[in-house]
Amino acid sequence: MTNVYIKLILAAVKSKMEYKFTFGFLVFAILVFYMGQLGVILVIMSKFKAINGWTLGEMAFLYGLLVFSQGITFLVFNALNHFERLIIQGEFDRILIRPLNPLMQVLCSGLEVSSLAHFIIGVTAIIFGSKSAGLEWSFGKLIFLAIAIGGAVLILGGIRIIISAVAFWTIRNRALVHIFVYSSKEFILYPVSIYNPWVQWFLTFIFPLAFVNFYPAGYFLQKSGQFMFHPVLQFMTPVVGFIIFTLSLLLWYYGINRYQSTGS
Amino acid sequence: MDIIQVTNLTKEFKTYNVKNGFLGAIAGAISRKAAFTKAIDNINFTINKGEFVGYVGENGAGKSTTIKILTGILVPTSGEALVNNLVPYKNRRKNAMKIGVVFGQRTQLWWDLAVRESFDLLKSIYRIPEDRFKKNIKHFYDILSIDKYLDIPVRKLSLGQRMRCDLAASLLHDPEVLFLDEPTIGLDVVAKDAIRQFLKEINEKKSTTIILTTHDMMDIEHLCERIIILDEGKIISDGSTDLLKKNYGQHRVMEIEFQDEFSGLSGIKDIKLLREESCKKWIRFNGSDLSASDVISKIAIKYQIKDLSIQEPTVEDIIKSIYNNR
Repeated sequence: MTNVYIKLILAAVKSKMEYKFTFGFLVFAILVFYMGQLGVILVIMSKFKAINGWTLGEMAFLYGLLVFSQGITFLVFNALNHFERLIIQGEFDRILIRPLNPLMQVLCSGLEVSSLAHFIIGVTAIIFGSKSAGLEWSFGKLIFLAIAIGGAVLILGGIRIIISAVAFWTIRNRALVHIFVYSSKEFILYPVSIYNPWVQWFLTFIFPLAFVNFYPAGYFLQKSGQFMFHPVLQFMTPVVGFIIFTLSLLLWYYGINRYQSTGS
Repeated sequence: MDIIQVTNLTKEFKTYNVKNGFLGAIAGAISRKAAFTKAIDNINFTINKGEFVGYVGENGAGKSTTIKILTGILVPTSGEALVNNLVPYKNRRKNAMKIGVVFGQRTQLWWDLAVRESFDLLKSIYRIPEDRFKKNIKHFYDILSIDKYLDIPVRKLSLGQRMRCDLAASLLHDPEVLFLDEPTIGLDVVAKDAIRQFLKEINEKKSTTIILTTHDMMDIEHLCERIIILDEGKIISDGSTDLLKKNYGQHRVMEIEFQDEFSGLSGIKDIKLLREESCKKWIRFNGSDLSASDVISKIAIKYQIKDLSIQEPTVEDIIKSIYNNR
């Protein structure tokens, strides 16, 4: 059964490879974009020795966590960023008449291999950051890193599923994708503790992006003292991820029955 | 055995009235009036296994909406539909295993992959056993002659080629029911003919139940033994094609060429002059009141006939007259 989804993924990758130039260009574009972003952080850090107690290495680690989970999310959930197109053009019809899970079909058809670029940047930033911040790795810490990244992916992926499900009602959701998927992550380029309490509250309990990198980084870099809320939050990323993802699936399956298709 | 059962099926769509102009658009963004339109309105019918049914109606009559409910794409507002004893919109995946769907407007194949690869994917998706897959595919290659373009990416196929492949793809898993939504739209005569032949054979040999919506009445004429006619979401006629012809299609049109040019056809009862063109005239009479030989003899007494032909009404004529008399 899972076999089928792997075949769908291979078909999607193969389709994409038909356009080799576009693929190569996209990898390049992503690399340039993230190196630019990282560059800005480095420039800022060279002016100020620390932001709210976070040194250059720690900032790089924070950034690496974000980009790495961003990379997995991009790999798996990329198709959802263009979900509106499936709805507007009635392409979702085709997905509903196949004897497979609709969400899995959407995801498999849009698997984004060019997220390779994220991993290069993400791993580099994490390694550089942990070295320069003097972080000592242990087996336990590595396991928790994997779990925390998993949780972060569930949060970011769940947000994309929620935004996509909205399109079952509104048909168009492009603006929401831009706000909640693309722009919102600017918030967590910096430690959340630099914001005023309202924003911290918002990023923790309403739109929990702080769990993607700030809270788990707080564990690795021993900064839980900076948390506005209880220090236990440093371990909560997987739990929050699980909750968001479950909610997103519920909304998706509720919304699918509202799908209106197109005329003709 | 009923393979499809539709009971009091209704689907409402919420639409918003859009006001004209820029200010209207702004006003519409602030407050707008929702209107409910019934795409289909309390529809009832059953279809037996092996039937070939034409589902006919003007644009917006609700044909596609019905098909989309039966294939599990849309959820009806009220009423119930059963396909193979399953509620399609509640058991989407189970239903999908037992039906085939072709939309003339869009392909279900993988756009950038070769046709053969699409077939292989469908084989895994529908879990088709190897021997059955091979048998089916050989059969389709033969009658649809698609083996020539198996290695071409779907995006490079012509519409006619693509539609043949789409049809084959929809039947690989031997579905009980095949839904066809305008499968011949935009095709040339040769492709249309090939597809009709194919559908006829599938229906007869595999006794696949087929439901066909189309605007091409020749499709219906050639293929469907039963026609359901839809108008503004309601069924206005449902019965065998022969019965429809019998009930509505009693009039005949006779084209007569006379030796001499003259105007009118005076003094002959029960016939109607449709049009005239120098020596040729077209008349209509009711086949149940008058036999053709009566008409000919009545005319031949008065005028010199050079040539004549009689036309039976086509399904298209009948449906047109049903619409005009509603």
